[in-house]
Amino acid sequence: MSAECDSELVKKATGGDARAFEALVNRHYATMFKMAFKWCGNRADAEDITQNACIKLARALKTYEHKAAFTTWLYRLVINTAIDMKRHEKRHDHAQAEMDEMQGSDSPEASLYAKEILKEIGRLPEKEKTAILLVFGEGMNHAEAAYVMEVKESTVSWYIHEARKKLDQFNSHQNKERHHG
Amino acid sequence: MDEGQLKKILNDAPVPPVDENAQKIAVNLALAEFAAAQADERNNISQGSSLWGRLTGRSHMKRRDPMKKKIVYGGMATAMVAVLAVGVTFQQGLMGTTSMTPQASINQMQFIEFDRSQTAGASARVESDQLAAAMHGRASEQQVIASVDEKPLERWRKIQDAPRQAANEASAPQRADVPDARLALPESVPVQEMEMADAAMNRAAPVAPAMKMAMTEEKRKAEGVVGSYTAPYVVQPEPMPQDLHKDVGRDKFEDFEENPIKLVQQEPVSTFSIDVDTSSYAFLRKQINAGVLPQKDAVRVEEMINYFDYDYALPDDKAQPFKPSVTVLDSPWHEGRKLVHIGIKGYDIPKTESPRSNLVFLLDTSGSMNEPDKLPLLISSLKLLLDSLKPDDTVAIVTYAGSAGTVLEPTKAAEKAKIIAALENLNAGGSTAGAEGIRQAYTLAEAGFDKEAVNRVILATDGDFNVGITNPEELQDFVERKRESGIFLSVFGFGQGNYNDQMMQALAQNGNGVAAYIDTLNEARKVLVEESSSTLFPIAKDVKIQVEFNPTTVAEYRLVGYETRKLNREDFNNDKVDAGDIGAGHTVTAIYEITPVGGPLAVDGSRYAAKSEASVKPESGEYGFLKLRYKLPDQDTSKLIETPIIAQDTAQTYCGPAQDCEPSAPYASDDVRFSIAVASFGQMLKGSKYTGKMSYDDMIAMAQDAKASDEFGYRAEFINLVRLAKTAAALPANRP
Repeated sequence: MSAECDSELVKKATGGDARAFEALVNRHYATMFKMAFKWCGNRADAEDITQNACIKLARALKTYEHKAAFTTWLYRLVINTAIDMKRHEKRHDHAQAEMDEMQGSDSPEASLYAKEILKEIGRLPEKEKTAILLVFGEGMNHAEAAYVMEVKESTVSWYIHEARKKLDQFNSHQNKERHHG
Repeated sequence: MDEGQLKKILNDAPVPPVDENAQKIAVNLALAEFAAAQADERNNISQGSSLWGRLTGRSHMKRRDPMKKKIVYGGMATAMVAVLAVGVTFQQGLMGTTSMTPQASINQMQFIEFDRSQTAGASARVESDQLAAAMHGRASEQQVIASVDEKPLERWRKIQDAPRQAANEASAPQRADVPDARLALPESVPVQEMEMADAAMNRAAPVAPAMKMAMTEEKRKAEGVVGSYTAPYVVQPEPMPQDLHKDVGRDKFEDFEENPIKLVQQEPVSTFSIDVDTSSYAFLRKQINAGVLPQKDAVRVEEMINYFDYDYALPDDKAQPFKPSVTVLDSPWHEGRKLVHIGIKGYDIPKTESPRSNLVFLLDTSGSMNEPDKLPLLISSLKLLLDSLKPDDTVAIVTYAGSAGTVLEPTKAAEKAKIIAALENLNAGGSTAGAEGIRQAYTLAEAGFDKEAVNRVILATDGDFNVGITNPEELQDFVERKRESGIFLSVFGFGQGNYNDQMMQALAQNGNGVAAYIDTLNEARKVLVEESSSTLFPIAKDVKIQVEFNPTTVAEYRLVGYETRKLNREDFNNDKVDAGDIGAGHTVTAIYEITPVGGPLAVDGSRYAAKSEASVKPESGEYGFLKLRYKLPDQDTSKLIETPIIAQDTAQTYCGPAQDCEPSAPYASDDVRFSIAVASFGQMLKGSKYTGKMSYDDMIAMAQDAKASDEFGYRAEFINLVRLAKTAAALPANRP
């Protein structure tokens, strides 16, 4: 799964080679699904997001300029897809907004604390959540995250700062409750 | 909180494994879009036709707000739900959780989509344990509350037991693959239980004729118009009717019984019309995926079989559009009986030779279409269809809601941007004057009638016609008259809950048409892109099949499916009698189960009938004689194809690893065996009167073995469906 192979496939696919495109989608489906799942926290939505991202890829591929790694570029696609879908849904049904929070994992192994933090991350404003997921979840540096999010590096730093402030607040609030209760 | 901690939490958050089928679907759709993008580039059309933003309608259904669920008055079963709701609400009051209103009615039950594969074993176990515990704990209290009437109490106990059993079963470690996500829904326990009880009730109650609309017309309208109609909270049980009946959604199906076993002595000739519709399969797939077994009238076995593409032999020359392939093999359902498997494949018109199309889209834009899996999906589907049209094909659009109107005059497909703009402007609202729309669509198709082209009206609707002519028979008469004009009709069904299958079938069968049901974008791709030539180009019409069985070799026979397509013996030679059409590349399969003379009879012989110990005739080497009549699309007189059915095994059925099989004949082809697996499943869903001791597992094994290359994953999807049905059927032990 070397980067060179990716870019070769991309070149072939943009040239109109459906096989190359198919191989590309098949190769990266799991990665995209994983990104999507982390973003929305449940399988059904993650599958929908991934499906739409795959469809979008068919036309968007030619805009990939080989500057960043293909997977990094895919992040941008998946996350934009997720955000677009969420907006689209909101327009259609306001009542759903509340249910869109990140559900964390259903796994009982994850500690309650981790679950709560994940939930809290899910409740962050879109951009802050994305920044957190990219930087802490995927281990990107701020410059890479900035590329994915199509903003300046300093903006990413700001999002991270804001998000951490909120999470810390939540944290200390929790601690206080624990002490008093 | 430090960075490391945050990283750890995010990295530890488990991600479920990829679902192979979901991947296949995504890849298929992406490829369709890729092809469309390439085509656009060639034609220099920028954007516009993108699939992006098209909805699968899947997740949206699932996330339906529980507050919006409605209670429908009607029948005993609903009354039971009302009683239940009282109990649960009471309970909730105690617990202080008021966020959920468990108003799940039987109808709404079907809307809640459960993600089958989401359930990782571990979480399923934990949650179902909780569920079971909760059920045990609360059983006594609920029984007290539920004791409004003697009979309901009994029923209630039964219902209550079933899910508990299931929950226990699900918690057993070896059942890690339990695909029933109801157990894992992260909702409060009372709601889960409601749903399970509902599901149990759905199956426990016999499918009574009452499902044919227990509701009043007004009520149906009121609910059909706006999706978010909220019924008042129901607390009083309705007076109990004498016999138990229930209202299974408002999906309307014609009711029919399975074909019985016939005695060759009494009725040696079987006649029916072919049927290439696929809507039944798509519809029941949607239901089973939602964790509900479909109502029996929704199951048309032949449509399930014909959903799949089979590689039967093609005709040798083009003068004859198709040829039947007959296979005789042992029946997997009963020892000693045989199956006569008749497969027909029409020749495929190469893309370059295909005729032009003159299409009129007749689109339902009434209020009832205002749901993600209806109008938006319909618009996306038609965009897909546009991609498979040739530049000089013409397209017109007529919509109907409260009134009918022409949205787009006949336009060349080359002006794609214009057509797409018209499609995207569509909005849903108002009631449904379906008949008026049909009239206008036919007028438009006649105006643009092209002798060289295929003239076709494509009707897309949920079938809920409620203004103007609402009687299926009158509409049927109308399309029947229009049939003479040479205009074909395709009916695409959308949505669920209000779906009027009976109307669709009536229209398609009488208007030289086919009916398909579109539940997802992937299904739209199958019908409109992959099978566009069979969807658009008929190669033969009024195709009838007649089989005469030989009484000296065959004692009994039974036709699998085609119940709604029966014809009289004399209709076969009467060219005025309408029958089904075959499109380019379509496959049609019919299966008879026969009992050879001397085999295990289902019907006792007559004591008094004259023994027909006739001398052995030369035809005794035949089980019967197959006759096929068809008309070429532009002709009015039929042609005949005949072939004898040899009384000898031509192939061998699937034999499981446990069986000891002597290869007496070559193995039946994957296609034949797969179609038999589908037939088995269909009959099982219909009540399994005739499938003997065959189990879901046998079907899975049989289908798995015959999966072949399965390029688009449809067969894999079928196998998955059988697995789901198996789990769903296991919930209540008592199948009616």
